[in-house]
Amino acid sequence: MIPKKAIVLPESFHFALRLIAPVLVIGVATLLLQLLSSLLGAEIIALLYLLPIMVCTVLWGLTPGLIAGFMAFLAFNYLFLPPYYTFMVHRTQDLLTLSVFLVVAVVMSQLIGQARHGLELAHHREWEATRMYEFISAISGQHNIHTVTQFIAHHTQEAFRLERVEVYQDNPRRDESYVYALPEKSEAVRKPDLSIPMMTARTLEGEIRLWLKGELLTKEEQRLLEAFASQGALALERIRLSQGENRAQVLEESDRLKTSLLSSVSHELRSPLAAIKASVSSLRSGAVDWDNAARQDLLATIEEETDHLNLLVGNLLDMSRIEAGALKPQKKWNSIEEIAAGVVTKMRKQLKEHQLELDFHPDLPLVSSDYVMIAQVFTNLISNSVKYAPPHTAITIQGRREGEQVHIKVINQGPHVPEEHLERIFDKFYRVTAADRVTGTGLGLSICKGMIESHGGRIWAANGPRRFEFHFTLPLTLDGSTPRIPQEENGG
Amino acid sequence: MDKDPLILVVDDETQILRALKAILGANHFRVLSATTGKEALILAAAQCPDIIILDLSLPDMDGIAVCEQIREYSRVPIIILSVRDNERDKVAALDRGADDYLTKPFGIEELLARIRVALRHSAQSPGNTQTVIRAASITIDLARHIVLRDEEEVRLTATEFKLLAYLAGHADRVLTHQAILTHVWGSTEADHVEYLRVFMGQLRKKLEPNPDDPQHLITEPGVGYRFKTGE
Repeated sequence: MIPKKAIVLPESFHFALRLIAPVLVIGVATLLLQLLSSLLGAEIIALLYLLPIMVCTVLWGLTPGLIAGFMAFLAFNYLFLPPYYTFMVHRTQDLLTLSVFLVVAVVMSQLIGQARHGLELAHHREWEATRMYEFISAISGQHNIHTVTQFIAHHTQEAFRLERVEVYQDNPRRDESYVYALPEKSEAVRKPDLSIPMMTARTLEGEIRLWLKGELLTKEEQRLLEAFASQGALALERIRLSQGENRAQVLEESDRLKTSLLSSVSHELRSPLAAIKASVSSLRSGAVDWDNAARQDLLATIEEETDHLNLLVGNLLDMSRIEAGALKPQKKWNSIEEIAAGVVTKMRKQLKEHQLELDFHPDLPLVSSDYVMIAQVFTNLISNSVKYAPPHTAITIQGRREGEQVHIKVINQGPHVPEEHLERIFDKFYRVTAADRVTGTGLGLSICKGMIESHGGRIWAANGPRRFEFHFTLPLTLDGSTPRIPQEENGG
Repeated sequence: MDKDPLILVVDDETQILRALKAILGANHFRVLSATTGKEALILAAAQCPDIIILDLSLPDMDGIAVCEQIREYSRVPIIILSVRDNERDKVAALDRGADDYLTKPFGIEELLARIRVALRHSAQSPGNTQTVIRAASITIDLARHIVLRDEEEVRLTATEFKLLAYLAGHADRVLTHQAILTHVWGSTEADHVEYLRVFMGQLRKKLEPNPDDPQHLITEPGVGYRFKTGE
């Protein structure tokens, strides 16, 4: 798995350097001391030899230091202690000098070597601790599996000398695994040099795969990498578990809603069905000879109630899509004024008793929106206004640009809603008055809320001077862009 | 026509089939029916109906696939009649060869009107297309590039005319955003619905008596546009 050639060469080279360098240093020192030997006594020379030994230990570590010490010991004995040019020693004093020299050289080398090693270790530890700290603080606040996966990749790349890194996030219970590679969009040309699993006590969360730039990882680096992997695995597991908990909460909530929905809706569904059944069965029974006007009345009832049922079913479907989080706007650049005008035209029959006014600023830009959803929002807000506002009053739809959003108001002259209820009217099945004269599903406004929020907008209601207002906003940009309109070639 | 037009109705709901047979029969159509996609394909090839009314949810295959297979050899008008009311299904059906789309529940007058439009179009295409199209006070002369409103010439830019001509040439039929954009601006611009919003707005200002309540240049929400002659 590991490319042997790439690492054996520099390693052996390094080793040879550590052997040869002290020999060379002592050689040079010996030459210098030889020149000065007439001026200096043997004891001073022995002291001076300690300097190059120290240098070797500091620069290259314990073993080269000991080699230097031994070389110096031989050179000193051979060149500077009589009888010269032999390894023999005659005088007791010289023997003592030589012995002390050897002991000092070895002890000194060892002390310096240990200090050096300790310093190196401390540096490594500091480096490891810093990397680890950066890594943990980066991933700990995250709630998104993909972001954490990306962070793991970025930090791994920063900490090690890598050609490429790939973090694979896996979960056996879902088929949404995720891979993030750095450099981004790079393709793996060969198998990774190293793969570290990201494991917690319970599950395998994924894998970190490394493509090295030649050199093998040191023991410390490997330890750090393993720490990354286990911390990363813990973070991924934490997010996954908390998401599972959220899902369970959402399910419970939606279950509760379904129950209340069923009880509220069965009444709403049954009344139009009852009217249709009554009308149809009377028309079919041969008992009564219906005159033409009565027939028309019954038939009109059937048609109206069928439309009403269809509307209810549509509302229920919309609501269930919002609840399921399946409501994804098909955003296109639309003119909000055009949408509003289209809705008003369609609702002409229901608007018989009110005057509807459109008041849009002429320079209102196109808005990135789902035509059908925004039309639905207008329909619901207008029909709500029609239900509550007294007949022969005006309903006004206003559109203005406000910075990076468009602000729409639907204003009617209906009664005020107590301030404490203003927010709650967008809740499901919420009615301000208990004995409600108004028919509906109690879903209209909450559908509006779901649809506007899925567009990244906001919806609210307010009491105005002798009027009631619905407000909503929509962002003007789509992924940060604004619509591009082709320049018209010369008109003709 | 010497014989009443033949309609093939494809739907797996027997109640719908029963109702449509009765209603269409009363309106002087001969009616064939099929309850599966395979049956529909066989009947469409063997009987050569004048028009096909097709449900999208069939037990054996998807209605859009039926539509595509028929389009391989026939230009017979196909009207989709489905409970699916999301725009993606509508656009998919129209882009794969359907002529029109109506959602259930539907008003029977609406269905009959769409059938008449489809039959009129199949009678005149291809080749002998009309070059002068009239819709209330608007007259469009495709050959001479002239547009009149209340007998007065309206000056249109080249793009506006190209857009109007394409819509009017397919009068009373839904054209998807993609189809219109591809025809007028080219296939590279097929996603830019914003062009249409702007240019349709300009056309309405020039041609419609009340641009906020258009009578001819009709938006089909989420799907496209329709030039309505108001037959």
